[in-house]
Amino acid sequence: MKTNATILGLLLFTSSFTMAQEFKLAKSTGKLEIKEVNEVQIEGYNGNEIIFTSLNFSKENDKRAAGLKAISAMGLEDNTGIGLSVVDKGNIIEVNQLKRMDGPKVKIMVPKGVSVSFVHTSPYGDDVTFKNVESEIEVSTVHNGVRLENVTGPLTVKTVHGEIEADFNSALKSPLSLISTHGPVDITMPAATKLNVSMSTSYGEIFVDPAIKIEFENKGDWKVYGSNKVSGKINGGGIDLTLSSTHNSIYLRKK
Amino acid sequence: MINETTQQKVLDYIDGRLSAEERKQVEQLLKDDTEVQNWYEQMKEMNSAILSSKEWKPSAALRESFSAMLQQELEVEKKSKSIFFNPVFYRAAAAIALVIALGSLGFRYSKQQAKDAEILALRKEMEATRALVFALLENDQSASQRMMGVKAAYETTRKDDAIVLALINVMNEDANMNVRLSAVEALGKFSTEAIVQRALIESLPKQTDPAVQIALIQVLVQMKELGAVQSLQKIIEDESTIESVKDEAHAGIIKLS
Repeated sequence: MKTNATILGLLLFTSSFTMAQEFKLAKSTGKLEIKEVNEVQIEGYNGNEIIFTSLNFSKENDKRAAGLKAISAMGLEDNTGIGLSVVDKGNIIEVNQLKRMDGPKVKIMVPKGVSVSFVHTSPYGDDVTFKNVESEIEVSTVHNGVRLENVTGPLTVKTVHGEIEADFNSALKSPLSLISTHGPVDITMPAATKLNVSMSTSYGEIFVDPAIKIEFENKGDWKVYGSNKVSGKINGGGIDLTLSSTHNSIYLRKK
Repeated sequence: MINETTQQKVLDYIDGRLSAEERKQVEQLLKDDTEVQNWYEQMKEMNSAILSSKEWKPSAALRESFSAMLQQELEVEKKSKSIFFNPVFYRAAAAIALVIALGSLGFRYSKQQAKDAEILALRKEMEATRALVFALLENDQSASQRMMGVKAAYETTRKDDAIVLALINVMNEDANMNVRLSAVEALGKFSTEAIVQRALIESLPKQTDPAVQIALIQVLVQMKELGAVQSLQKIIEDESTIESVKDEAHAGIIKLS
């Protein structure tokens, strides 16, 4: 499989001078693990291929590097022609970038049955965005923010310094867990969304649209004022939504 | 007055304990002395009365009335005791006792059975929960499934050591921070358990993600876990710890001491 991908990658690499900067991998299930790729946009679509597209090939135009390949200390190989190493391990597809600091700006089209994991720790790069993804998303970043638009979940998203923004539609899958240590967590959802919500902040505030009514979960008659954890049901309860920002605030908005 | 020796002799004569010579002597005396003769007659009568009384048999009527009386007496005696020893009564009592015993036994049995059924149901429920939790937690492909596993573990109404241990394992080992964090929160529910308290303290130096570190510090402070102070000190001294975690650790030490 690995050699297949490599050969495919090499074929695409050689053809990449004439074709759009694209790399395709036939997959309709499994898990796409994106590691340390600095600038990524991920989009879900109805298809059977994972499609990697470079959005900034012109920037990569280093004349000195013409005819050369970027290699990395991790022993990775650019088998896609767009500065990415894509290794197909069967159920898991590993994606790394070759360069350390800037790296390519990549758009990845993901079939609906493929779940996505995104891990990023360096201070380089930009926010990662997910759009129209209908499968599970796992995100772990240190410095970069996470933007989610029209994704269904399940979601486990965490960032240390980045901010999390999500714009949900009504179709959602439990659990949705969005956690930032230092950044704000900002959620927009249809007013009728049924949720079991748990929101906590240690040094921030929790802001909720007045149209969103939360049935607070009390511990008997004992309401903990000054406690910064709020849990309750919205519209009678449903999807588990966990929002946490230790040092920043939580915003829950309606569409 | 007849002297004692004569009296004795006469009595012995009556009883026939005298020798032939003595008998002649007493017979001579009886002929000569009327007084002795009278006394002899009295004694002889008395003696015969005594002898006859020894062989006294009650008359038939008396015998009947007496045996009737005896029978009556015996019957009264029997009746008074037969309240307890009357076989019918005994059997009835035994039957009632048996019914009560069986009934209570049956009640107990059915109660026991209900209890057993309850225990069985609980065990089944526990096993089902355990199986569900473990199946979810073992899914290394999906963080959200593991998270559901932690949630299922958190929602268990009864304490199950296997589940608590699984949660501890998730808190320390899971690859996904959201899952680890949810395990910390779930374990907060079992924080009265010594094993959980120890695990939370021991987990502190293992965690590298600030959100989990801060959550752990907060849980330990809430538990007033003085044993955490040393670990907090280490976190503060560790250069790789980010500032906000150090601040939390400082605040924790102040709150605990």
